[in-house]
Amino acid sequence: MAVMTRIRGFFSKLFGKKRSRVGIYGPPNAGKTTLANRIVRDVTGEAIGPVSEVPHETRRARRKEGVEINSGGSKLLIDIVDTPGVTTKIDYHEFLEYGMDQDEAVARAREATEGVAEAMHWLREDIDGVIYVLDSTQDPFMHVNIMMVGIIESRKLPVIIVANKIDLPDAAPQRIKSAFPQHPVVMVSGLEGNNMDDLYAKISEVFR
Amino acid sequence: MPHKCTQCGREFRDGSVEILRGCPSCGGKKFLYVSDRVRNADVLEGKSIADIAQETKQEVLEVRNQGPASRPTDILERVESVRIVSPGKYELNLERLAESQDIIIGVDDGKYMLDLPSMSKKKQKK
Repeated sequence: MAVMTRIRGFFSKLFGKKRSRVGIYGPPNAGKTTLANRIVRDVTGEAIGPVSEVPHETRRARRKEGVEINSGGSKLLIDIVDTPGVTTKIDYHEFLEYGMDQDEAVARAREATEGVAEAMHWLREDIDGVIYVLDSTQDPFMHVNIMMVGIIESRKLPVIIVANKIDLPDAAPQRIKSAFPQHPVVMVSGLEGNNMDDLYAKISEVFR
Repeated sequence: MPHKCTQCGREFRDGSVEILRGCPSCGGKKFLYVSDRVRNADVLEGKSIADIAQETKQEVLEVRNQGPASRPTDILERVESVRIVSPGKYELNLERLAESQDIIIGVDDGKYMLDLPSMSKKKQKK
């Protein structure tokens, strides 16, 4: 087995096979950046970007290259792209509740819109696999989730669905599992780091 | 309600984005908002735009001076491909429509509706 891996490594080096680029997608406030930070921190000790309770904190895609996922003795090198929350509607009013003034909120709405376009651009052009993150306390049947999973399927990209925030008392990750029976679902808490090994095992299996 | 260029008197419809680049006729950067009542006063009564400005006490709008390498003004780099100005009234962002297939509908400032399927399609080869 080790010999095979070495041979594969040799050939991929020889022919310049690129690493799998895994995009972290999901609706706003699903905990995408928290999860991306957790993965990157577990591996490299660094972080990928700041998190906040205000939706659309991540308005530009952020990339971390060469993240080594170790699971069950096997290693997989991937690039991680943390993307802005994808949604079908953005209204600056939702930011006013977080104490922003009108100008700031309008600017954020605009940037968030550009962020969605950027996330979709990555999905269209440059992503080899998707980790679709959902907040376990929310209804998984939201229009945007059904649409995005449909788009990911139509692009024939491998996908892992992450039921995040299982540390919260009203989390119902089982709902997510029954909503997407056709895809592997991993239940984690990106914040607390629960079940991350299950996720790494799945990443090694699905994105290899 | 239109604006008029204070330099050459060219008229622009309300909400026109042309004036943000300066008057296309004379390159003037100052525009006066004119109500329908005084809209043709410059021609019919031989008044200068400055006279009308004084009369109506309207403030002259000055467009920021831009060098050739400066960034285009906000309104020209809108993120939306279509803006709903009011029911039945639309503004099409042709620049954006030409360069990508993404459909983003803007309603007022800071409200957007995004058509994700249009954003997931690969750009058609020319």
